[in-house]
Amino acid sequence: MTWEYIGDLILSILFTQTGIPNLDLKQVLMLVVALLFIYLAVGKKFEPLLLLPIGFGIFLVNFPLTPLMGYTESGAPDLIRAFYKYGVEWEIIPCVIFLGLGAMTDFGPLIANPKTLIIGAGAQLGVFVTYIGVLFFGFTLREAATVGIIGGADGPTTIYLTAKLAPQLLGANALAAYSYMAMVPLIQPPIMKLLTTRKQRLIRMRQLRPVSTREKLIFPLIATALIVLLCPAVAPLMGMFMFGNFMRESLVVKRLTETAQNALMNIVTIFLGISVGATMQAEVFLTWKPMLIFGFGLLDFVVCTAGGILTVHVMNLFLKDKINPLIGSAGVSAVPMSARVSHNMGIKEDPNNWLLMHAMGPNLAGVIGTAAAAGMFIAMFH
Amino acid sequence: MKKGPINQSHPIRAIRRIIGIFFLLAVSSPGWAAFSDDAEKPKPEFTRQADRIVAKLIPRGKSTSVLIQFHTPDVKLIGVEGVDFDEAGQKGMDAKDFRSALFAVKAGGLSPGGEIKVALSSNYFTQATELWVLNRALQTPWMNANAMNTERSDRVQELVVTVKDGGPFDSDGAVNGEILLVVGPKDSFWGYALGTLLIRFFGIFLVLGVLMAGMILAGLVFQRLDRRAEASKAAPALRPAAEEPEETPEAIDPETATAIGVALHLHLCALRAAAAMNLERSDGSSWARQGRSQIMRDRLLVHDRAGRK
Repeated sequence: MTWEYIGDLILSILFTQTGIPNLDLKQVLMLVVALLFIYLAVGKKFEPLLLLPIGFGIFLVNFPLTPLMGYTESGAPDLIRAFYKYGVEWEIIPCVIFLGLGAMTDFGPLIANPKTLIIGAGAQLGVFVTYIGVLFFGFTLREAATVGIIGGADGPTTIYLTAKLAPQLLGANALAAYSYMAMVPLIQPPIMKLLTTRKQRLIRMRQLRPVSTREKLIFPLIATALIVLLCPAVAPLMGMFMFGNFMRESLVVKRLTETAQNALMNIVTIFLGISVGATMQAEVFLTWKPMLIFGFGLLDFVVCTAGGILTVHVMNLFLKDKINPLIGSAGVSAVPMSARVSHNMGIKEDPNNWLLMHAMGPNLAGVIGTAAAAGMFIAMFH
Repeated sequence: MKKGPINQSHPIRAIRRIIGIFFLLAVSSPGWAAFSDDAEKPKPEFTRQADRIVAKLIPRGKSTSVLIQFHTPDVKLIGVEGVDFDEAGQKGMDAKDFRSALFAVKAGGLSPGGEIKVALSSNYFTQATELWVLNRALQTPWMNANAMNTERSDRVQELVVTVKDGGPFDSDGAVNGEILLVVGPKDSFWGYALGTLLIRFFGIFLVLGVLMAGMILAGLVFQRLDRRAEASKAAPALRPAAEEPEETPEAIDPETATAIGVALHLHLCALRAAAAMNLERSDGSSWARQGRSQIMRDRLLVHDRAGRK
């Protein structure tokens, strides 16, 4: 054994078994992006439940030579690749999240005022405007559909659709969706002010009627039957959502409901966040597309908000009991953030005008509307 | 009102930060490379079934495969191959309009200078689908073949084009008893994208509209059932009440009396407080208003996303 041999051995180990010599500028940039999202999650509390694991996922996979998102020689997936493959690629995690969301959701405000469903449909306007917009920039039809759905402000639906139609955009789409969802209180108020007059903002809506337990119990069955009959492609999402809600309203499986609401939801959120973050490796992510996705994502949110408000204006032309147009913006999902924004805007004008429960109606309709839009897109490509 | 998780005094800063970092990333990126990747390029696979050849491919804008059947009724179909659109030279044509690829169809066994019919059939074609022929030997290489588009009983559209040996549609250019037809089914990409978009946007209104109608109907039924149930509960309760002797003050237990006393006291305190704050202008009693405010505050806590454990 000579010193030269030892030197070669050390160099060989350094270059093939350590990360430092293999670190390139793109990876460093991605590490900065990761730290930004971690800062937004921890320091600014922007959607921390998702942005923190996503940020950490980006951080982790952008170190060189890490056996996290590849496959072993025998074909077994590395750690995060396994989470991604079985959770996201197989479309399991978004549906399980919908189960948890269903178990957490009280459909009372929507059942008491079913007219608000139309607001949820109108608020999908941005989804389609963005779809056309990104087509002009060379996105494929499938990619355009997944970018469009960002404006629905529904994270699991965005991830579900993107994993199905354009998995290469998963990271950018999920990040844009969750970032803008966190920024709903900043994005929506100026549009709401612009599209409403003070008189309209002062409209007081009639107290919602009480909804019986029996009615709440039967709702998931009716909704599942009608939606799945009309749009079968949305059955995985809507079926799990309504199943979760049925468990909740049945009042006989409290243990299962609590598990779906808490433990199960938290577990899948961890795996979803880190898997989505891990898709953002420098070589995949550093293109113009994420930039455009972020630009169009913002436009998407703006148009969806405007779509909801304009739908209320149109509805008010025909309704005797007028709807406060501020609740139109809650038609984008972002439950319950956008409903809170509507409420806060309302009480700024009139401290005694409580809009929260009224806004929860279009808010929940937005969830159903976004899932329906996703179903329409999936059906389009079949 | 509880303050949200976002620093609202600098609302634009957060958006700027994110967009700024992405701009930096974009500038450092390898350019528009991602746009030139034709991720949806159809890759047909061919199988022969008796005198027909079937191409199986995933067209642009689809997730599932479709079948296109090639048939030359009167002569021998020698073979069909996929033609790369880029290599074929797409001057004046958009690859996106040819969603199911270009094909080179070779047929033989006809008399030199004779004519044959080439039929392409698929349930993927529509009544608007056209057949376009490419012949690079001509000055205008792309031609609309004006194919006859007919719908068969099994919901399959059949496009039939007549090709003359050595004619403009024959790419080998020779009168040799063989035909080489380079052809592609063409549908307007933007027509499809916009058309399907409109239909699907109104589809959402339809789905949610039907759900709304279902819910209104179910609501009416349940409200009626609930009213009936309440009425039947209330009716038998009234009758025995009239027969029973009046309740004497001695029958009320001390705990109930204390509860009533406390409730009256709180009510009177609330009235005094409301009078002092001059809150009498809105609808309902002060007791009702205070209760409502308390309930709504509790609800807001439930909907506090950031504070949720």
